[in-house]
Amino acid sequence: MRKVTIFMIPLTMFVVLSIFLYKGLYSDPRQLDSSLINQPLPPFSLPDLMQPEVTHTPDVFKGDVTLMNVWGVWCVTCAVELPYLTQLREEQGVRIVGLYYDQDTDPDFGIKSIPTIQKEVEVKLGQLGNPYAFNIFDVKRDYSLDLGVTGAPETFLIDKQGVVRMHHIGDINPRVWNNKIAPLYNQLVAE
Amino acid sequence: MKQLTILFGILTFLAFPVLAAEEAFVFDDPAKQKIFLELTQELRCPQCQNQNIADSDAMIAHDLRRKVYELLQQGKSRQEVVDFMKARYGDFVSYKPPVTPLTVWLWLLPPLFVLIALGVVFSRRKKQTEDFDEAVLAKADSLLEKDK
Repeated sequence: MRKVTIFMIPLTMFVVLSIFLYKGLYSDPRQLDSSLINQPLPPFSLPDLMQPEVTHTPDVFKGDVTLMNVWGVWCVTCAVELPYLTQLREEQGVRIVGLYYDQDTDPDFGIKSIPTIQKEVEVKLGQLGNPYAFNIFDVKRDYSLDLGVTGAPETFLIDKQGVVRMHHIGDINPRVWNNKIAPLYNQLVAE
Repeated sequence: MKQLTILFGILTFLAFPVLAAEEAFVFDDPAKQKIFLELTQELRCPQCQNQNIADSDAMIAHDLRRKVYELLQQGKSRQEVVDFMKARYGDFVSYKPPVTPLTVWLWLLPPLFVLIALGVVFSRRKKQTEDFDEAVLAKADSLLEKDK
């Protein structure tokens, strides 16, 4: 009997370790829980990308359920999701607001001028479809940092009170929309 | 040969300032400079995971370095900068995990294993001396006698 227990110890340790490591195989290290969930959007005051004289604040999210999509023309995956986002806007009337930031605009030097960026955006949206109600221009990428954005594309689902309800890292495709975002989106719209 | 050594030595020293001038975050206060270097080592890049923001060349790492610099220049303390980053990117962003009921095992398990192992070793040694077989010892002694 004693012998059996002694042999059981390494066996159980092995089994526990195996389960732990096996689960690790399928865990996605990029799946980070955003610390913003169920928090109101951090305050901001940023210009519109196309009309820089217009200033946006978190008030633009009050009253509508909105997808805030972080993107840029330099981002390959963003180009992939643009047609589908456009489809969501046209077929389901989803309100999508862009948070645009540029890679080449060094906050300290500013290599690219705003007209150049506007031109690039117009061309890109002309080719692939324009899902955006409007674009907020995160000039110095400070706001992306406040939101905990790690890259592009990333999307925030924001409810009618301007509270962040979901943070999705990566592109939005039919699978992600139907399985992950749409259930909560529909629930928020119905509220 | 000697000339070559001298040349090599000169070249080595020439290379150092180049390394230092890679990115210019200038501090008036050497203490702040030290905190900056420590923090960029300790904060993890959320994009290229397993690199700290000092090593990573991802855009987010550039932005985080700049933010750390800005915050320190504003007179924020080391802990305030870490809290600022954690509020945005979660505990993940720091290589130093906080002590929670889940992570406390990281510190508890290694000493626990050592204690268990020591316990096993001592209990076994004790048993061995207790199980001492006089007959076997006598036999060994007689064998040794024979060899003489």
